[in-house]
Amino acid sequence: MNSQLQAQKIQHIWQRGIARRQFLKWGLGSVAAVTAVAAGGFALLRRSPRDEMTPPDWVSHLSATEYHLFDRAREVLLPVAGTPMIDSANVPVVQNVQQTLGFLDPVTRKELGAGLSLFDNVVVFSHGCRFVDLDDAQAKALFDRWGEGSVLQRTLATVIKQLVYSSYWREPVTWPPAEFDGPVSEKWGLAYLGNAPMPQESSLDVQQEQA
Amino acid sequence: MSQVKWQASGLQVHQASDVTDSHIELEADVVIVGSGAGGAVSAYELARQGKRVIVLEAGPYVPSQAFTEDFTQSLHALYQDKGGQANSSGDLLVLQGACVGGSTVVNGCVCFRTPDFILEDWQRDFGLEELTESELAPYFDEVEKNLSVHDNGEHEIARHGQVIREGAKKLGWSVKPLRRNIRQCGLTGHCLSGCKTERKQSMLVTYLPWAQAHGAKIYSDTRVEKVLTQNGEASGVEAVVTRQDGGVAATMTVKAPRVVLAAGAVQTPVLLLKSGLANRSGKVGQNFACHPSLLVAGKYPQPIHPWRGALLGVHVDEFMHPDKGGFVLEDGGFGLVEMTMLAEPGSGEPFMDYMANARHMAGLVTLIHDHNVGAIEWDGERKAINYQLSDVDFPSMQRAIKAAARLHLASGATEVYVPSSDKRVIRSEADIDTQVDSLENEPQHLRMVSYHPQGTCHMGADPDSSVVKTNGETHDVPGLYVADASLLPTSIIVNPQITVYALATRIARHMS
Repeated sequence: MNSQLQAQKIQHIWQRGIARRQFLKWGLGSVAAVTAVAAGGFALLRRSPRDEMTPPDWVSHLSATEYHLFDRAREVLLPVAGTPMIDSANVPVVQNVQQTLGFLDPVTRKELGAGLSLFDNVVVFSHGCRFVDLDDAQAKALFDRWGEGSVLQRTLATVIKQLVYSSYWREPVTWPPAEFDGPVSEKWGLAYLGNAPMPQESSLDVQQEQA
Repeated sequence: MSQVKWQASGLQVHQASDVTDSHIELEADVVIVGSGAGGAVSAYELARQGKRVIVLEAGPYVPSQAFTEDFTQSLHALYQDKGGQANSSGDLLVLQGACVGGSTVVNGCVCFRTPDFILEDWQRDFGLEELTESELAPYFDEVEKNLSVHDNGEHEIARHGQVIREGAKKLGWSVKPLRRNIRQCGLTGHCLSGCKTERKQSMLVTYLPWAQAHGAKIYSDTRVEKVLTQNGEASGVEAVVTRQDGGVAATMTVKAPRVVLAAGAVQTPVLLLKSGLANRSGKVGQNFACHPSLLVAGKYPQPIHPWRGALLGVHVDEFMHPDKGGFVLEDGGFGLVEMTMLAEPGSGEPFMDYMANARHMAGLVTLIHDHNVGAIEWDGERKAINYQLSDVDFPSMQRAIKAAARLHLASGATEVYVPSSDKRVIRSEADIDTQVDSLENEPQHLRMVSYHPQGTCHMGADPDSSVVKTNGETHDVPGLYVADASLLPTSIIVNPQITVYALATRIARHMS
């Protein structure tokens, strides 16, 4: 997609979001800014060095920009320095995100894709670069700010966080530092009880027949 | 009565992988749509009357031994929409089982009878004079006996339940053991992923094998697309058998003069809307309520390990009556994935610090008596769950959060996390009003979950304002019944499984 189309798409999403969600904290000024930038230096500003990096071979249900967004979110949202927790670089976080998104119906997946594009690109207007190129502090601040923002902002921040968090902590390798036990029935040797015995004939049946 | 062939383990289920023909034609006395609480009970009750019963379940058959005790995998394998079913604005997860046994496979085993004051509302406001406490008591007695329902013993109250109970006692609040349908609980804490060793008395190990013993036939992977009628009366269903890869294995027609819809309060109205039936009142899909719940976590100085022991131990019923608040608090365990969804302590290091303290957390589930303000809609391609917490109910939610925070603090918690999209941490009584009063009733501000959708084909005496009669038959279509939580005219505050079991038993016994 060329940059002009990308800008138009973001503007469209932005306006549609305002109309559909009736969110109030962003006014016409924001839309005007979107329009102005779309007509100007958007193409230059939205370039990222990450665009030159080819995603891994397993990436099939994420676009390249979505892959880079989630990989950057992983780095930002899961810092482990100074803790016993497992470095997220050694956990298939983005693979798991991809799997979860693969379960979405096509319409929802398309809408989410548009939202992810918005999240990645919209900071071009305020920071001069995309989300994936923000430094760690800026990226965390963005998530926190959006968590307090409009409906659309809260939705996107929450969705991205939930996908990344659950994709990390679903992996057994992350459990020991938290002392999470994981599956236990087989480890404990619990016996299978099978089906419950058939119930005795109820008194209600008898009443019913008598009636 | 035909010969009863009870089997000790598992079920004989016709699955998509068994299909060899492109179209399947079946006949029965009764076809039941859904194999959860209402469907399984109906199947057993009708099969043992000697009726030929066919049960059609849209989800897969997953035997207990195949349960993984991994919550994420279980969401994908056992839940509706792979665990992603949500309201239209995405801030309310609506978790329902989508497998043979339905939600009873993945629920927390909690059993409450319908509160008396709810039945009184139904009698007064919906003309359901028959549904009195004394009328329903024998049905409750019977299903509770069948399902081994009992008060949690002391060993079934985990560490997280023990601290909550102590806090409630300090506050002088009424706190009681929860009642659960379970035999010899293994104390694994994995209820929401299905009970691997068959201790939870879900439909998978009770009413379905009992129905099968009486000759009922069960088909999984089979989604009913349309209810058929002939001369204005129910005459069967059309369905599609779907393989795991989503491909169509076969189409199916079942001819039957009795059709029982028990697909749950989201799917049952969708099916009626698709079929264009039973909607003279315009109420099909309307009147949706769901007990929007929050899991309020607190951090304690001592290790709690909220994933250890029985998932649910005690409840505070101090505020159950609407005049006293209209909400219930239940102590609730959780694992790491669930914990990531509970709170927003701040991005990056604050969140990792929160997770590093996972073993020090305990949880409180809030259930509120919400009004029936939502709707299930079908646009021809997709269902929509249109529900937002109403402004009338928002104060109840705030009161429930405040009570949960107060209880955590009384129990010794040093921090309580408000489950919102922004950072809200309560460290003392003085913080409670500040942190909770400033919450706004807007989409995506609270992180809500519903396990109890209900009300979308509700019972009532008036055919112009309700969908179903007291006996479960639709007002408009003779022979077409509803036997799931869609029936409930109002939300019932408490976990609804026992109510559904009792109503389904009564409906089957009254079916001609």
